[in-house]
Amino acid sequence: MRRFSGRFRSSLIIGLQGIRARKLRTLLSMVSLFLGVSAVVVVQAGASIAEKALLADLQLTDGIDGTRIVDMPPEPKAADIVISTLKGRTDGVATLGVSAIIGEPGVRPVNEGGSPIDEDWGGGMVCYGDGRCEPDTSNGPEGAAIEVRLTALTGDVRMFRPFTQQSGRWLDFSTMPSMAPRLVLNQEAAKGFDRYRVPAEMRVTGASANLTPQLIGVIDDGDQQPRAYVRLDELTNWLSPANLGNGGAEMRVLLAPETPTEQILTTKLRGAGVETYVSTVESRKHRQKELTLMRLIFFSMAGLVLLIGVAGILNVGLATVGERIEEFALRRAVGTPRMLLAGIVLAETLLTGLLTAAAAIGVCVAGLKAVSMLIGDSEPLLHNVQFPWEAGVAGILAGIVAGILGGFVPALRAAGIPIATVMRA
Amino acid sequence: MTDPLIRLTGITKVLKGQQEPRTILDGVDLTVAAGESVAIVGRSGSGKSTLLSVIGLFDRADSGQYELAGQDISRVPERRAAKLRSSHFGFVFQRFFLLKHLTAAQNVAMALVNGQGWLPRRERRARVLEALDLVGIAHLAKNRPARMSGGEQQRVAIARALVRNPRVLLADEPTGALDTETGALVIDALLAATTRGCGLILVTHDRDHAARMGRILDLDAGVLTERVPA
Repeated sequence: MRRFSGRFRSSLIIGLQGIRARKLRTLLSMVSLFLGVSAVVVVQAGASIAEKALLADLQLTDGIDGTRIVDMPPEPKAADIVISTLKGRTDGVATLGVSAIIGEPGVRPVNEGGSPIDEDWGGGMVCYGDGRCEPDTSNGPEGAAIEVRLTALTGDVRMFRPFTQQSGRWLDFSTMPSMAPRLVLNQEAAKGFDRYRVPAEMRVTGASANLTPQLIGVIDDGDQQPRAYVRLDELTNWLSPANLGNGGAEMRVLLAPETPTEQILTTKLRGAGVETYVSTVESRKHRQKELTLMRLIFFSMAGLVLLIGVAGILNVGLATVGERIEEFALRRAVGTPRMLLAGIVLAETLLTGLLTAAAAIGVCVAGLKAVSMLIGDSEPLLHNVQFPWEAGVAGILAGIVAGILGGFVPALRAAGIPIATVMRA
Repeated sequence: MTDPLIRLTGITKVLKGQQEPRTILDGVDLTVAAGESVAIVGRSGSGKSTLLSVIGLFDRADSGQYELAGQDISRVPERRAAKLRSSHFGFVFQRFFLLKHLTAAQNVAMALVNGQGWLPRRERRARVLEALDLVGIAHLAKNRPARMSGGEQQRVAIARALVRNPRVLLADEPTGALDTETGALVIDALLAATTRGCGLILVTHDRDHAARMGRILDLDAGVLTERVPA
């Protein structure tokens, strides 16, 4: 161990002396390697950022990996069971979706059917068998109203679907329910409210009266359809749970993994004759294949660029060994073992590789920061993006691999230099 | 009588790889005791440097026996040979082989940073300064070779050879690139080492320098003979 430590320190000292003595050559080696290591760092950083963004999108729409989902048909008895079972529990949240129209009464919403604001799903036209179509006036004329999917929540759903707050605030489940239901819109719904002057009157099928909602915030939920979130207890002030199952409603319960609530709930539902569909969110697993393929393609490209860098460091290394024949022969003459000579050359190329990796990582971190500052506002993917640590590790590994590959042949050459021939008078 | 430091018996070295193999050393016998100085003289190509290479374990003899301090080292593996070079030998060459990017002290320290044991920096520095002091150039410790004369550079090379307290100094025409006066100073420095019990084998063309050694050996066509004092 002590001998190894002595040799390790010797090779480091001599390697550093060699680098200091040949600064220009070291710089040239670094230049040829820089692009290769940078390519690896950029690819790894890009892949990590893209993967995180993709998974973040999936988490918004599907839920965090591991979340258990219980879907069921929207039946009145199912709503009752779900609400009573989840009452007071923090390990599960029910989402009950109904259709709602916010705006002028007696008019057709601008996005009939709850379509995205800029898309027309064909609402408002009636087509006949002979192919003739004409505007549908049965629901009245088109006016300042927006149709949204209204999702009633029994608790804070963000522990399963990490919505990002865009403005205002999220629903507060700790306060007394308000008679004027507080709504949080998603971005698509907010776009409609931004574009049209919509009065605060909400129609929900089965409600005892039209409601006066309070819009308190906007979130990004990854949904392309206009959607609003509301506390279930504020909605049920006006709409009985039995009516929640009407009119194309959707019922879903999100549960923490391995919670007993799941068994209690499903048993109760099955006992009441409600069919349930239980699944687990596995976004990463489902996307793993395409993520792996994407990484493989990019890493192959980066590997090729790195190989060019390795060829550069190898070329400079061989030339340097050729120049240092006398030095290596002398070192062998004073008792330096062949292995240590090889170690000295490897230490130099390794240190060069590591220095290059540090430079490449530094440049990439600065570059990412600059790009994030310059175009982060227009590109959500790059907004406040952090340099992924995996890219730093990949860069350092690339530097080490390049140093070893580039230094291996020169190290063998250095170890094989014959003393007698070189040192002859 | 104590064992000789070096004992060569019937050492033969044949140069192969040419059209006809050429015998460079032909049954060389040699003994060198601790503190003894030996000069090896002979014409160019007579095998002097090859003999020194065999003694210094740079090269292997094809046949014969080599004993160092009573141990047979005729067939030692390279790893052990490197260790013996470090612990027993100091080398001085005609060309000084100083690394131009290192100072005199760093050049001397090179023999200490060779993977054969580790000395703390302070001890390393003390031994380097001691070796430089032995050859009278401690004041040049921080100078690089380019700022030193030929004689000074050769003395740095001698300090490098002495820094590990070797048992034998092998000098291959160390004064070949120096003027007479500087050459004499270098020989003084080498002989001074013998007073501390270090053996000295000097390969030289210079008869005056050879005359200052305890014994003179002639190498001619690979055969070593002792010159009888006149």
